[in-house]
Amino acid sequence: MQKILRKRILRDLKENLFRYLALSVLIIFVMYLVVSIVGAADTIIIGSKKQAEKNKVEDGQFSVFVPLTKDEIKDLEDTGIEIEEQFYLDFAVDDGAVIRIYKNRENIDLIALEDGRLAKANDEIVLEKRYCEEHEITVGDEIQLADKDWKVVGIGSTPDYDAPLKQTSDTNADSSIFGTAFVTKDAYDTLKKSEKSEKAEEYIYAYHLNDKLTNDELKDLLKELDFNADDVNDVYFQEYWDDTVGKKDELQDGIQELADGSKELRDGLKELKDNNKDLNDGAQEIFDAYLKEANQALKGLSIKTLTEDNFETVLTDYLETCQSPAIRVTVRSLKIQLTQLKKFVDGTKEYTDGVAEASDGSGELDDGVQELKDETDDMIDEIFDVDVSNMTSFMTADNNPRIMGAANDQVINRIGGLIAGVILMILFTYVISVFVVHSIENESSVIGALYALGITSGDLMLHYITLPVLVSVISSAIGGLLGFSKLGIGVQMRDCFGYFSLPAPAYEYTPYLILYTFVMPALTAAIVNCLVIRKKLARPVLSMLRKEQKANRIREINLGSMDFITRFRIRQMLREMRSAIALLFGLFVSLLIVMMSLDIYVMCTNVSIENKRDTKFEYMYTYKYPTKDIPNGGEEAFAKDLKKERLGYNLDVTLLGIHKGNPYFQVKNGKGKNEIVISTAVAQKYDVGVGDEFVVTDEETDTKYIFDIVGTTQYSSALYIFMDIDNMRELFGESDDYFNTVFSDHKLSIPTGRLYATTSKADVEAASGIFIKMMRPMIGMLLVCSVIIFCAVMYLMMKVMVDRSAYHISLVKIFGFTTKEINKLYLQGNFYLIAVGSAICIPLAKVCMDMIYPMLVANVGSSCNLHFNWQMYLGIYVAVIVLYLLINQALVGRVKKMLPAEVLKNRE
Amino acid sequence: MYLQIRDLKKSYGEGGSYVQVLKGINTEVEEGQMCVIQGTSGSGKSTLLNCIGGLDIADSGSIVVDGTEIVGMKQDMLSEYRREKLGFIFQFYNLIPNLTVKENIQVCEYLTKNPLDLDDLLETLGLTAHQNKFPSQLSGGQQQRCAIARALIKNPKLLLCDEPTGALDSNTSRDILVLLEEINAKYGTTMLIVTHNNSIKNMVHKVLLMKDGLIHKSYENEVRVPARELEDL
Repeated sequence: MQKILRKRILRDLKENLFRYLALSVLIIFVMYLVVSIVGAADTIIIGSKKQAEKNKVEDGQFSVFVPLTKDEIKDLEDTGIEIEEQFYLDFAVDDGAVIRIYKNRENIDLIALEDGRLAKANDEIVLEKRYCEEHEITVGDEIQLADKDWKVVGIGSTPDYDAPLKQTSDTNADSSIFGTAFVTKDAYDTLKKSEKSEKAEEYIYAYHLNDKLTNDELKDLLKELDFNADDVNDVYFQEYWDDTVGKKDELQDGIQELADGSKELRDGLKELKDNNKDLNDGAQEIFDAYLKEANQALKGLSIKTLTEDNFETVLTDYLETCQSPAIRVTVRSLKIQLTQLKKFVDGTKEYTDGVAEASDGSGELDDGVQELKDETDDMIDEIFDVDVSNMTSFMTADNNPRIMGAANDQVINRIGGLIAGVILMILFTYVISVFVVHSIENESSVIGALYALGITSGDLMLHYITLPVLVSVISSAIGGLLGFSKLGIGVQMRDCFGYFSLPAPAYEYTPYLILYTFVMPALTAAIVNCLVIRKKLARPVLSMLRKEQKANRIREINLGSMDFITRFRIRQMLREMRSAIALLFGLFVSLLIVMMSLDIYVMCTNVSIENKRDTKFEYMYTYKYPTKDIPNGGEEAFAKDLKKERLGYNLDVTLLGIHKGNPYFQVKNGKGKNEIVISTAVAQKYDVGVGDEFVVTDEETDTKYIFDIVGTTQYSSALYIFMDIDNMRELFGESDDYFNTVFSDHKLSIPTGRLYATTSKADVEAASGIFIKMMRPMIGMLLVCSVIIFCAVMYLMMKVMVDRSAYHISLVKIFGFTTKEINKLYLQGNFYLIAVGSAICIPLAKVCMDMIYPMLVANVGSSCNLHFNWQMYLGIYVAVIVLYLLINQALVGRVKKMLPAEVLKNRE
Repeated sequence: MYLQIRDLKKSYGEGGSYVQVLKGINTEVEEGQMCVIQGTSGSGKSTLLNCIGGLDIADSGSIVVDGTEIVGMKQDMLSEYRREKLGFIFQFYNLIPNLTVKENIQVCEYLTKNPLDLDDLLETLGLTAHQNKFPSQLSGGQQQRCAIARALIKNPKLLLCDEPTGALDSNTSRDILVLLEEINAKYGTTMLIVTHNNSIKNMVHKVLLMKDGLIHKSYENEVRVPARELEDL
């Protein structure tokens, strides 16, 4: 039976060729887009991974103050990991661009050449491909760098600059102003000696963990690496060192001196104490000898033997009784001498007691000082912990926005594409199901008759879903094959290759996408049609035979005393509710795509406009080696890069400490130590506002900071949060005059060797336009896509409505209604549907897309201002109405062609 | 007895709109008999036919067709019953518009394991020359022949005809009735024909006259008038 019914399918297709062709074209178009977008995403994601593996992408990198010694490298490599030096120098070229020079690489982040070969001679250079594209450089060309001519012998890319960002904190890459290059070791050394580098040489090491260590374990090892500051041959470093970590030595020396002094004192007093006995014994000996001599001399005078204790009393008593003046003189003299000697003995004793006490005290003092020294040493070690380590930064590949940037950018495309494909297939298959329902209603009595003859609803269900499934499968297969081709994946990857720097990968045909392309449409068509048709086919046989209309409360709604035309239009709309729903569904989906397109446009435009407007400074200098002296005309600030996660992406958020009244940022800082003012970029990106808490992480120290948001300020150029500079210095334990960033309205003469980066307003302005330039084709494609979908769905659904009313239209023509009146009755009701539907769907689609869109750009560290002005809403509304009127006009022609004889045709 | 109906009742609606259409039908039809059910509009003849065909569900009573009770059967079983035993012919032909005559018949050919020979049937029904035509290319009579062929292809034992000539002119009606007569003779198909047409009752074996939901009168023709000789069709 199905075999016979299948013949009917072809005839159905032929009879409604335009309808199915239109739908087929839509499905082909949408599947082409979806498969090409998702295929391109897969190709880039898988291709990037393969290329990264092939070119030995790093597991991470770290930078140091002083290049590691051979022993240090050996020690590290003995753990099983692999390390490669990736030092670089930045050189300005004539057009203002900067080329970052590396030595040829051997083991990590290898150069994938697209053309040419590696540099072998000392005047040869290999350039990064995106830079070459922007500057139209080909192999064999010559470029000038550091006042020397270089022959371009190769063009390629490296996995550590997949996203060629100059700084890892940059929001976007602009290959017209930045690129990387690779030269021989000797050429590199020559360039270094030329001292024409824009800034100091960066000592970066890339590593492979080889499953021997974890990132954290390596980081801990690196933290322990000490270094001798004197080894650093950089005057700015030395100055910085003296001002910062050098203070540690001074402090430690002072404490050491104190400890040494106290020890010396202790030792001296001990020595003195050790002599106390001799001194006391000597004094006593003298006294005893003198007392002995006195007793000898007084022997003839009946005087009691003198002792140390009684000599004073005995001699005093004798003097009172003695009458001889000569003896009295002698005894008095003796008494005086003995008394003085006694005083000497007592004094010596007192002195030695004091010495003993001082000695004990000095011991205690020395213990205290030693304790102080130990404590102070610990404290100093703690305070100077970061700086005493040679490591200055540590970044794993996962946290490096330059690595797998393209792949990360495509993850959202893949998810978005797959979901959009299913939604659109549901829409299209629903539209087809409306046709099928229309057919079923038309053929109701035939179906009833077939049921009466024993055909089951299952047989007919299979028959009725065959055509939708076939149309969906064939169309999606065509669309899918186109999508998988060079015209699909190849075209979709152009945008990516116009921004990211990665080798051209072979197209990836992932099994899930093949399954999605060939099975999902069939499944969607079958499910949607089954759900819609099932009820229609489940009606009682007699009801179908009699073509009975199912009672419907909504259709039978009491419309009161409205005028005839209005009531008729409402009834007509209620009767055609299914088509109306499909039409509104199509309108909504189309509007979602419009909103996506316009959100992209608005965001990119706003980034461009706001970045220019919000960048008030002409120059921003970021110090590598901060100094105490604020350059004349500069406004100092303290910048610290922290991290905050959003939708799986860990983005850089810069905490900027500034003074009140900083002319470059309109910030009214809070007074509290945890209070911050957020930029509009942060507010939009993280959907936070005043009163919220804002948690950021310092990945260097694994510390979380919780801030209270007390204000928002207009600043969109980067993800900035602001706080009072003094509070920030205190929070991060910096001195009262510390700063590491300077803003100015004119160029300052800061030695480049002291700087980490210089950002000019011109750079910001140039980079701000890159998004709109990059996204323009996508915006156009989405707009065209939405218009096609909307027009096709609206035409098909309105045509179904007219076709379903063909009998009635012919009938009212017989009654004498004019074409104008018929249009009013049957077509103009749709105007209100579209007018009201658009008024609801436009803001609804905008709200939905504004919820979805931030997820699509979750990896972009810039503001996300999606605000539409009222003119844009009006423009969309007017565009919808104009499209409706155009399609309506086409249907008016169709209504005109309907003849009264149609009534006869519709009867057997 | 091929068809036995006992105390069959059927009503529609509730409350004020309650109508009892069949009030206790009792009748029997023998295998191979042609039987006409006649009556005024609203007498219940079509409802009776629909209940026999399993298109409508009786409230109570019994319908036994070829030994099978169909009152109380579930929809799946009813479909099976219709598939195995019944052929239906309606006033409106209900042909699938974009299938040819032959294909329309073939749709039902697959419903049975032992269908009639299609070419023979086409020949019998005079459709051989029209077999590749679409319904819109046929006259009303030809379309009804096609509908009859579609009903007969699966070789049903019972053919239910609801106003089979209702939409046809007199000559075409006669042709159709002749055809039914021939089929009855050739295949021994039991036929129940609901009709308003008074003449048709003369050509059949048995006549059931219905009034107000009951079999008002039932009789068998002792002498049947051949369909070709019927007048006032």
